[in-house]
Amino acid sequence: MTVPFLETDGLTMRFGGLTAVDGLSFKVEQGAIHGLIGPNGAGKTTTFNMISGFYKPTAGQVRLRGEVISGLAMYQVARRGVVRTFQHSTLFAELTVLENALVGTHMNFRPSIFAAITGRDAENRRGARVRAEETLDFFGLLGHAHERAGDLPHGHQRALGLAVAMAAHPEVMLLDEPFTGMNPEETNRMMALMFKLRDSGVTILIVEHDMHAIMGLCDRITVMNFGRLLTEGVPREIRAHPDVIEAYLGGGRHVA
Amino acid sequence: MLHILGWPALAAAMIALPHGLSFSQQEILVFLTINVLLVTSYRLLTLTGEWSLGHVVMMGVGAYASALYTKELGIFVPLSMLLGAVTAALIALILSFPLLRMKGFYFLIGSFAAGEIIRLLWKRFRNPFGGPKGIKKIDPMPDFDAGFYSFDFFEPVSYYYFALVVVGVSLWIMWRIERSPVGLTFHAVHWQDKLAEAAGVNVRAYRTRAFVIASGFAGLSGTLLAHYIGTINPNSFDVEMMVFVLTWAIVGGTATFYGPIIGCIVLTILNEIVLREMGFEQMRPLIYGLLLICSVLFLPKGLESVVQGLLARRKDSPASGEEKA
Amino acid sequence: MVELLAQTGLNAIYAASYMSLVAVGLVLIFGVMGVINFAHGELYMLGAYAVVGLYADFQMPFIFAIAVGLVFVGVVGLGMERALFRPLRDNPLGGLVASIGFLMVLQALAVMGFGVRMEHVPPVTQEVIVFSEKVRLAVPRLFVIIAAVVLLTALWVFLKKTRFGWALRASAQDPEAAALQGISINQTSRIAMFIGAGLAGIAGALTAPLVSVNPYMGHSVIITAFIVIIVGGIGSLEGAVIAAVAYAFIHTIVTTFWDGVIANIVGLSLMLAVLIVKPTGLFGTADRA
Repeated sequence: MTVPFLETDGLTMRFGGLTAVDGLSFKVEQGAIHGLIGPNGAGKTTTFNMISGFYKPTAGQVRLRGEVISGLAMYQVARRGVVRTFQHSTLFAELTVLENALVGTHMNFRPSIFAAITGRDAENRRGARVRAEETLDFFGLLGHAHERAGDLPHGHQRALGLAVAMAAHPEVMLLDEPFTGMNPEETNRMMALMFKLRDSGVTILIVEHDMHAIMGLCDRITVMNFGRLLTEGVPREIRAHPDVIEAYLGGGRHVA
Repeated sequence: MLHILGWPALAAAMIALPHGLSFSQQEILVFLTINVLLVTSYRLLTLTGEWSLGHVVMMGVGAYASALYTKELGIFVPLSMLLGAVTAALIALILSFPLLRMKGFYFLIGSFAAGEIIRLLWKRFRNPFGGPKGIKKIDPMPDFDAGFYSFDFFEPVSYYYFALVVVGVSLWIMWRIERSPVGLTFHAVHWQDKLAEAAGVNVRAYRTRAFVIASGFAGLSGTLLAHYIGTINPNSFDVEMMVFVLTWAIVGGTATFYGPIIGCIVLTILNEIVLREMGFEQMRPLIYGLLLICSVLFLPKGLESVVQGLLARRKDSPASGEEKA
Repeated sequence: MVELLAQTGLNAIYAASYMSLVAVGLVLIFGVMGVINFAHGELYMLGAYAVVGLYADFQMPFIFAIAVGLVFVGVVGLGMERALFRPLRDNPLGGLVASIGFLMVLQALAVMGFGVRMEHVPPVTQEVIVFSEKVRLAVPRLFVIIAAVVLLTALWVFLKKTRFGWALRASAQDPEAAALQGISINQTSRIAMFIGAGLAGIAGALTAPLVSVNPYMGHSVIITAFIVIIVGGIGSLEGAVIAAVAYAFIHTIVTTFWDGVIANIVGLSLMLAVLIVKPTGLFGTADRA
């Protein structure tokens, strides 16, 4: 029985009297695109925050290849290969596109102060720059390398957010509602980018409301409601599942 | 092209400068050089977004440490200066454990409290800190002959050159740090610490680094001060001095490396030339206070934004681009 | 020994009285306007100088001098609100820095107007209440205690029972919601600033005969005020009063058995400890900092 790649085990989060997530257990397979969906307030974002280290779970564990990563600080989780993106266009707006990507290379090309002063870090910096440029190229942003990140159009800013995460050479990328506010054209472009990411070996866990994107992208989907696991399966199953349809009925019929 | 001509010209000007000044003006020049180091080290700290009110006390830590190392342990002055700076950095490291758990306003007040406690310890304990009277008769820099120039440290000019070298090297180091990936990470930690952390940056460690390095250089400026004036006391490093540093930084602006330096130079010139000549020296706190208020209200980006505006306009000027009609 | 403690207790209650006036003023300004008024100690100083000018120099009745002090400092507070804090409402750090600038202006004006020397204001009465040979309370100090109790009670009534007070509390809790309810931010800011500054001013006025008045007297007052409001909890008025009393006791006891500098070190260490362990303080409310 092989150790699951990424799994949550009885994951629970209580804020004072409110239980946001209750005993959630699911597994993510390596190399898959795995969706996490549910109506508003289902606890998806909280789960996401627990996996990425933003919150420390009240109970339960998150395990990566059997190693417990829940309770670690965000940067420690990142250093184990799990990198997350942020919902709103969270970027270093004042820096250039290239500089944004360079921040992402931090983990693998760790800067040193002494080397910086004496100039011994030239090789390190070159390596980081190459990686950053590769990543920008992957997302089609290399042409904008020296523009101010805050000046980019919306869709490009989103792509840059992914690029910063990817520059860190993660094994797992946690995507926090990447399709919010996108028109269909941008959505399709983003979906293509994600397939490309998956094909390069990155496992993706994505929290999202946009059903079209979820159904089109994911290999497996976990559905939450009221902080608990509702059901799990492939998109075809989820789409037709009566409980899922009912859970969403209040919020609008985007399913299918 | 400006770079090739500019730096040597600037260096020549700075070397020639004291010879055109009176004795007391030369003394001011020494203090100005020391203060430039102090305010630039403060800026390094603000790069990570934290504003401390205890920075000037770190200067004092360096000063007291170096004074005591020479007086009590008989250490060679230049070496004790280095040790003084290292002591300030170490104290900052120790303080970083409680202080860097705090952010924003809490860090401001906490850093003030920590600094004030240290200052009160100097005030209270005559042994070894000399109490309210402080430490007197601190060893000066030993005179030496460098071949092309004989350093007689009784002369402000000699000390000015010495300080110029120390400050110049320090500024260069801080500049290199800022320009490196470390500096980029400081910026990242300042503006989007969560995003930086998600990319694997240990935010707390970087804040500590900035705090320790900045304090070390502040301590170095303190050692320069101590061995020049020869006496130090707790009042040399009190809130009033901290407000001056804050004023230089805010009036000059902290977005660029040279912003606080501009602030320091402009305000020092204002103080020495305008106020002293006109006899309004008493009004210095009043003028500084008004400048601080006006700066925050009307020129929040600081004097550096004026410089940046001028530089940008030069790029668009008709001289550099023919067809603008 | 009992007598020593009793006398220390009386000293502490007196100190707590004027400190709680200052601290409550500072908390009120922070709570309603979200800005830290670093010049608060200098408002205290202005109140003291009002008494120096009117009562000591111009021989006006003490009560009159105090009343003018309160109104004058309150008006200065209004000026600060209009000129400094209102334009910088979106920039609390800027407001803080501007208040530091104003602090220097006030100090410099006091130096220019009155000189650096220490002023001595003759107390209104030399009477002393004698509890026993070693335990006595000077009547002017009793005035301070009574005034503090009266003013704080009046403030409590104002905040809990009047419309304006309710508006202030609403603004402090949630400025946006309050604005949506039609509460004018400008008006509540003005009221908070007038009262906050006025409290500091009257504290200065009342203690003027009992301390040495000089342009730098605000310095120690503001530090103590910060210690008190951090320990008490940054949004809490009740916390400020309780912390003022507790701090006054600790400070007075330490000063009696050791000395003033040690007492200050203890006070600052206490504040630092609170900042490290529970930054919101003992009675802290939601974080506005």
